[in-house]
Amino acid sequence: MKRFIQPKKIISLCLAVLMLVLLGGESVYASSTLPYDTYNYDYREYIHLTPAAYIPAGTIKGEDLTYNGESIGRFVTPQDLCEAEDGNIYIADTGNNRIVVLNNKMTEVVNIITTFDNNGTEDNFKQPYGVCVSEAGQIYIADSQHNRIVVLEKDGTLVKIVENPQSESLEDNYVFVPLKIAVDYADRMYVIAQNMFEGIMVFESDGTFASFFGTIEVEISLWEKFWKRLATKEERAKQQLFIPTEFTGIDIDPDGFVYASNIDPNGVQGVRRLNPKGEDVIKKGENGNVGGDLQIDGSTDYAGPSQFVDVVYRGNGIYSCLDRKRGRIFTYDHEGNLLYIFGGLGTQLGTFSLPVAVEDIGGRLVVLDATKGEIISFAETEYGRLINEAVSLRYEGDETQAVELWQRVLELDENNELANTGIGKAYLTAGDYVNAMKYLELGMNRDYYSIAYRRYRNAKLIDNASYLLTGAAVLIAAWLIFKQIKKKKKGGAQDE
Amino acid sequence: MSKYFSKEKWKYMFYTISHPMDGYYWIRHKDRGSVPLAILMVIIFSICFTANRLLASFVVNDLDPRGVDSLFELLGVLAFYLLICVSNWSITCLMNGEGRLKDIAIAIGYGTVPISVVLVAATIVSQFIADDEQAFYTLLIVVGIAYGLIMMLMGIMQVHNYTLGKTLITLFLTFVAMLIIVFLLLLLSNLLGMVYNFFYSIYTEIIFRT
Repeated sequence: MKRFIQPKKIISLCLAVLMLVLLGGESVYASSTLPYDTYNYDYREYIHLTPAAYIPAGTIKGEDLTYNGESIGRFVTPQDLCEAEDGNIYIADTGNNRIVVLNNKMTEVVNIITTFDNNGTEDNFKQPYGVCVSEAGQIYIADSQHNRIVVLEKDGTLVKIVENPQSESLEDNYVFVPLKIAVDYADRMYVIAQNMFEGIMVFESDGTFASFFGTIEVEISLWEKFWKRLATKEERAKQQLFIPTEFTGIDIDPDGFVYASNIDPNGVQGVRRLNPKGEDVIKKGENGNVGGDLQIDGSTDYAGPSQFVDVVYRGNGIYSCLDRKRGRIFTYDHEGNLLYIFGGLGTQLGTFSLPVAVEDIGGRLVVLDATKGEIISFAETEYGRLINEAVSLRYEGDETQAVELWQRVLELDENNELANTGIGKAYLTAGDYVNAMKYLELGMNRDYYSIAYRRYRNAKLIDNASYLLTGAAVLIAAWLIFKQIKKKKKGGAQDE
Repeated sequence: MSKYFSKEKWKYMFYTISHPMDGYYWIRHKDRGSVPLAILMVIIFSICFTANRLLASFVVNDLDPRGVDSLFELLGVLAFYLLICVSNWSITCLMNGEGRLKDIAIAIGYGTVPISVVLVAATIVSQFIADDEQAFYTLLIVVGIAYGLIMMLMGIMQVHNYTLGKTLITLFLTFVAMLIIVFLLLLLSNLLGMVYNFFYSIYTEIIFRT
């Protein structure tokens, strides 16, 4: 067989290459240079590779940091990190029983807290698992193996210790093992405790246990109920209990809404947004899913639903979730649309072994890796910045301003559905229904497409109303006349 | 050929659509139907079906166009048509049905015409509706399919000279027969595959030995 190479094709290829060379001023990171793919799911849940939204911007290791002239040694299974109002970063170095405080650039150690003065006696931590800093700058430490929460001032003096929560709803022999902690503007503590399936424990600012918060309901299917009915008592005792999943990570937005991640075995909802009453008010996107990856079929270890271990609220309705299963970071907007997905497991720079915590520090996404004992930071690219800014503008209700940004997103990623929808909506408000319909269809947004189409149709009808009405009148008249003639002919025939 | 597609046959098909009871009666007793015409109608139905799936407007159509294969759907519809005709014939033969295979083929083939018409109409209508007017589109299609199914039911009833109850019973048995036929076909293809593999392995054995 001979293969003909069409000269037309060669010319167009050359032109394309030339265009790339000439217009490629804005550098877009090819996925091949990074240890992971950046992607998103389109309307039909196909994987859609995009330019990188975030690129690795270095790792911070304990052994590279010095404090008072000495190396602080590597982090041992660190479990949590948190940014304070003053910009310092607090790391719960769990295995070393200490809290390490870094400056905002994470280049220098500001402080290391290993001991504190507990009413005259020197006290220390045992496996401090979670750390959090309140707006007033007080440090809240979930001292897990001492079964208490320690609250310290910035300089390390003790404020209070919260332990041994008392409540009728707790069992008598309940052992309080706090793991993660968050504090809201009123200094209420939201604590995720080990083996506590009732929800997040809320403590008042004076340290008394207030209530459970955001309990995850267990869903039992009809089929399971049917089998339960059939089973005998002994069989039922042997069956596994229907236990709700535990929360894994927690963050609080400035309005006092609590974002909490959990591991959903169905992969549908891995994060909740809890209002002050403890009800879940998260918005799920078009596909009703805020649970990470959508393509999770398969029987390998690598298949299965994402397991969210931490969530960070990043402002303007954007939040990111950290997936332990495949080491990916999923970013959603306030409507539950996926913005971008990146990250992966591995040993290269920018990949994780066991990611446990994620934080947004000055626009950088920072991930804490427990096994490697490293902090890996990611800097946003042009693509990521454009999406973040456009979504923020839309969150503030400034959709027309966002158009310019969305248009630039489209230059980098032609099939971005959010960008197409954003542009379509702007055309809709501007009254350009033809373009609005075009972009809204590309963005697969039926509701707004219908609005645009209805307005377009009405405009067309009103414009052409005179023709339509005249046409109808002519047709009716013609029909009447035709009938008359027929009648007359019949009459004439009868006359003859 | 002109015998099967004569003007009279076409006219009679439309007469059957508007007067199913009467129409099917004379198809059975005076051979006024045409099998090739019925098959053509099934092919047209398949084309309309695919066209509706591909061309219905964005507002009502949630299908992934990448998942629509017109040729495959044509083959599927024709195979299903053959299957339903053969299984109905084999059941009604045992149940005192008067219809011949060609009558059954015509009864079902003509029954697809209203569905095809409505699918085309709905595809055109879909271009002019917005989200909350979807009900019209759905209603149109449902009415068309209902008409087509009732036509097929009447056709089968009439060509076999059955009562309604007996028709429904035979239709259920037809469904069972279809499952059996499919099962046997799968079994057959599996066994043939095994035989083929057997001879192929002998062939490879001989090739490698020499």
